[in-house]
Amino acid sequence: MLRVDGLEKRFGGLAAVSELSFQVEEGEIFAIIGPNGAGKTTTLNMISGLLTPTAGRIELAGRDITTAGSAERCHAGLGRAFQVVQPFPEMTVEENVMVGALYGKPGTTYAAARRRAEDALERSGLDALRTVPAVELTLLQEKRLEIARALATDPRVLLLDEVMAGLRPAEARLAVELVRGVRERGVTVVFIEHVMPVVRDLADRVLVMNYGRPLASGSYQQVTADPRVVDAYLGRDDDEEEDEA
Amino acid sequence: MDLTLLAQGLVSGVLAAGLYALVSVGLALAIGVIGIINFAHGEFFMIGAFLAYQLSVSLGLDPLISLIFVAPALFIIGAVIYQSTIRYVLEAPELNQMLLTFGLSIVLQNLALVIWGGDPRSISNVPYRSVGYQVGGISIGLVPLGSFVISLALVLALYWVLARTRLGRAMRAVAQNRVGASLVGLEVNRIYLVAFALSALLAGIGGVMIAVIQSPTPTVGFAFTLKAFAIVVLAGLGNIRGILWASLTVAVSESLVATLVPNGDALRNAVFFAIIFLVLVVRARRTA
Amino acid sequence: MRRALPDLLWTLLLAAVVALAPTVLKALFAQASVSYLSLAANAISLAILALSWDLLARTGQLSLAHAAFYGAGAYTAAILAKLGGLPLAFDLPLAGVVGAVLALGLGSVTLRLKGIYFAIATLAFTEVLKAVVQELPTGLAGGAAGLNVPPLFRPHFVPGAMQRWEIAYQRNEAYFYVYGGLLVLTILVSVLAQRTRLKAAFTAVRTNEEVAAVMGVRPARVKLLAFVLSSALVGMLGALEAMRLGSVIPDGTFAVSTTVFALVTPIFGGLYTTLGPILGAGVLSAVEETLRRTFAEGYLIGYGIVLVASILFMPRGLVGLANRLARRRRGTPPAADGEEAG
Repeated sequence: MLRVDGLEKRFGGLAAVSELSFQVEEGEIFAIIGPNGAGKTTTLNMISGLLTPTAGRIELAGRDITTAGSAERCHAGLGRAFQVVQPFPEMTVEENVMVGALYGKPGTTYAAARRRAEDALERSGLDALRTVPAVELTLLQEKRLEIARALATDPRVLLLDEVMAGLRPAEARLAVELVRGVRERGVTVVFIEHVMPVVRDLADRVLVMNYGRPLASGSYQQVTADPRVVDAYLGRDDDEEEDEA
Repeated sequence: MDLTLLAQGLVSGVLAAGLYALVSVGLALAIGVIGIINFAHGEFFMIGAFLAYQLSVSLGLDPLISLIFVAPALFIIGAVIYQSTIRYVLEAPELNQMLLTFGLSIVLQNLALVIWGGDPRSISNVPYRSVGYQVGGISIGLVPLGSFVISLALVLALYWVLARTRLGRAMRAVAQNRVGASLVGLEVNRIYLVAFALSALLAGIGGVMIAVIQSPTPTVGFAFTLKAFAIVVLAGLGNIRGILWASLTVAVSESLVATLVPNGDALRNAVFFAIIFLVLVVRARRTA
Repeated sequence: MRRALPDLLWTLLLAAVVALAPTVLKALFAQASVSYLSLAANAISLAILALSWDLLARTGQLSLAHAAFYGAGAYTAAILAKLGGLPLAFDLPLAGVVGAVLALGLGSVTLRLKGIYFAIATLAFTEVLKAVVQELPTGLAGGAAGLNVPPLFRPHFVPGAMQRWEIAYQRNEAYFYVYGGLLVLTILVSVLAQRTRLKAAFTAVRTNEEVAAVMGVRPARVKLLAFVLSSALVGMLGALEAMRLGSVIPDGTFAVSTTVFALVTPIFGGLYTTLGPILGAGVLSAVEETLRRTFAEGYLIGYGIVLVASILFMPRGLVGLANRLARRRRGTPPAADGEEAG
């Protein structure tokens, strides 16, 4: 469904991401983890179109979207929920979701958009809050809105950027349920996360990144048992590294 | 191409840049430190010009001397306007600030119209107005030279204040992070007040000088407001140092066209704004 | 479309009022109706100016080039009239087309500019355009002295059957109808932008272009659409005014004050609405006229004070004030500060 090949992003002389390749199958829940600065968000930004890769290829359902604009990617089936929630503050919850419903796919009639919005609101549990101005929502509600908006664009792949950040454990559990529900409807999920229990509960497969490169991939159990991954997270003595170089 | 003419154009442009910089730097202070889009900025300039005129007419004061009175007067006027109106819209959307300051501009302009009428007022007792020097075929008027020197001195003085004094550092702190600044104990509102009053003062001094160079009318302010905005935007918001370069660029271009191109004088404004437009558009493409 | 129905009905009602107004005024006020019609045309002109500016502002593009398109439209009418060959009525839509094309050009180039950078770029464009028009061959565009523009209507005097003032009345009445027609058209465009899916797109782009794009909105298209619509409308207004005033001249026709009025009025009345600019135009015109009759000299000082006071006490404009009062009467808590600005 989603395929990344030899992806690279350089900022001047610094390579934030390099030689990154992976594939996500349809209906999978795929997690990208790694220590801070590993290039996870940069990768997500390149997939969603906010950054242009300096090398490499991104394919969505067989279609090359490497240089496509954000709107085009959305039309191709890519949805995204941002880490720092950015609802449209002047609109109500309903209106926010309608933006995605109306414009997520070209040629949507108003009626069809309404139906999709309804569905998205229901699935994210925002039904009762639909007339509330987005600016009055709590953090968890805002995150639900982020996901609802993305769902309203009828995505095939949903990108989630650290949605658990700032949530209390009880709230995080609700969010996990929400994501599971999304997958049950046939949406592929790719997410970045720091909260390990969430990754353990949700992910079918995990990719670990470090210093902008892929480090290990496999099931959660596999990667957490991998000594390289443990080293990456805990860090090693600088002397040891130099000896090996 | 006549090299002397070219040189003349360059020199005249550089001299004019001083005044542009002076007026713009005050606006940059208002926008950068306080965050206020002040469309009435040029009116401080105009008030300075007319105060100088009035002092010359009533007390026979030479404009240079009247600076001693005009400068503090403008400082006070700026402070009063800030306290009574500006500080209430600091948090408001930009459009609201524009409406408020347009309103102020209309009030001040028409006040001046009522007091002094719409005809250009020239200050008559300026014996040194026509004094000029000839340097290698280029004529340099004493007045433009003087205004350039004064303007440059004031702009550099402002740079020094911002870089070296406590007040300046406070202003920079507030410009960068209002909340943080107040958390460390800076009295943000007082700093805003001083910054605004200072911007009025700088513009006012510019006005005194324009009163000597030209004969101002009450509407002279707004034209300068627009040009000042253009220069501030050209330098880049928040870039007070860039004001000198921006002023130089547009002033010299204006002057070169006026000097070298037949009928160029009528194109001054067009050249000024054409440069602004091109730079803005090209710069936007580059950051894409 | 269905949601637009109530507003469309109101617009229809307004159109009916416009159609009947001159006759009613004439019956009530006889000769005085001549100046009332003229005043009404001025107010309508301001409303069109305000509505068209507001339309563009909804996408976050705060344009200071409104006078440029107004002037372009005016000069289109003037030059076409000079060249001859076309009935004057065609000048109006053509002026709109010129405005639209110009907007396409300016809009495309300034897509990446935001906030005050965009504003100053558009201002610069206006000044340059003014100079370009001034430098055009005098035979074509009149240079700095401008051109005379033939009027749209030449009323004919029938001695015996009419009184002298009825000539002026006929003329003002005819202009009033055309102005009214353009106003109805402008209101229709504004309403459609508020009641169809365009509203979602405009607001999304205004609030956060990047996020809007991620949701599938194409910011470039949306912004250009607004620019084209706004400029076509104000271009037609410019042509109309040129014909009513009888002349165009670079300094006057491209005056910054046109832009100032275009942006002050919607802020005063209530931004991002259709009612706001209309109310603003009506109230401000009335205020200005009243002040002028009361004070003669220096009345603009009062006008300026009104503007200053209005933004201090009604930060969301007249419409915002009305909403606030309505909410208070209903007893619901006032809306959070994230709501519509101005």
